[in-house]
Amino acid sequence: MKPETEHSVITIETTRQDHRIAWLTALAITIHIAESVLPSPLPGVKPGLANVVTIAVLMLYGWPTAVWVSLLRVLVGSILIGTFLTPTFTLSLAGAISSLLVLGLGTLLPGRGLGPIGYSLLAALAHMAGQFMVAYWLFIPHQGLFGLLPVLMTMAALFGLVSGLIVMAMMKKLEDKRP
Amino acid sequence: MTRADIIVVAFTLALLPFLYGTFWNRQGPADTALIIDESGREFSVPLDSGQQLRIDGPLGVSVLEIADGRIRFLDSPCRGKQCIHSGWLDESGEFAACLPNRVSVAVSGGEPLYDSINF
Repeated sequence: MKPETEHSVITIETTRQDHRIAWLTALAITIHIAESVLPSPLPGVKPGLANVVTIAVLMLYGWPTAVWVSLLRVLVGSILIGTFLTPTFTLSLAGAISSLLVLGLGTLLPGRGLGPIGYSLLAALAHMAGQFMVAYWLFIPHQGLFGLLPVLMTMAALFGLVSGLIVMAMMKKLEDKRP
Repeated sequence: MTRADIIVVAFTLALLPFLYGTFWNRQGPADTALIIDESGREFSVPLDSGQQLRIDGPLGVSVLEIADGRIRFLDSPCRGKQCIHSGWLDESGEFAACLPNRVSVAVSGGEPLYDSINF
């Protein structure tokens, strides 16, 4: 039997970089979703372990790759969890964008630049600050919200430090493995 | 850790106490009360005058008392009386409102921390 119509097949050329981004994003999404199940001690406080991936990617493959991985993680993560276009998503995106901007500035530093601890701390603080500003502007424009800011920033600093230590351990492992 | 890392850590250690100092401090005494009535008219009253104010609302008259640099709802013709239970207002930034009678009071003074507040 002859097919009535000719099917054309479109092949999308993928580069090594595309595959790398996809794999790393998949890893980040997995962590993101696993973490979303954990109970949170305070609204808005999360360890943000997916940022470990962002920082590691930043240090291994540079800022553009980190931007892809981080933004795709927020997008796909929200679709899988079911928070796409909800306030949670908006806050998540705001946090991701502000931490990426700060990380981008961080990569411009001269000399040896920042290490895992510095990047991770900066990213965590920027993430929380950006999220907080958006929460204040869009959702809860009440001055009482500022009472939470010191606590939230303290938690961000702590979790940022922990993520930084994880990235540091990870980088060391990766370096040891390298021939 | 690189030098930049140490600077970031130092920055964080300086930032956190600054945030606690800025946002967890009481804002100091208020010196002016801003009263808004049902029609949206605003009255600014200094808190150093001892007096009672009678504000007309849709339910009747709300009575505000000013004494010793503070202000409170003394009486209001509403059911819940939340406005009266708010008690004295003397810290800059505090407010009380009688929503049924559409009267609200906010006190301010010293250096205001915020340009505007939305409710």
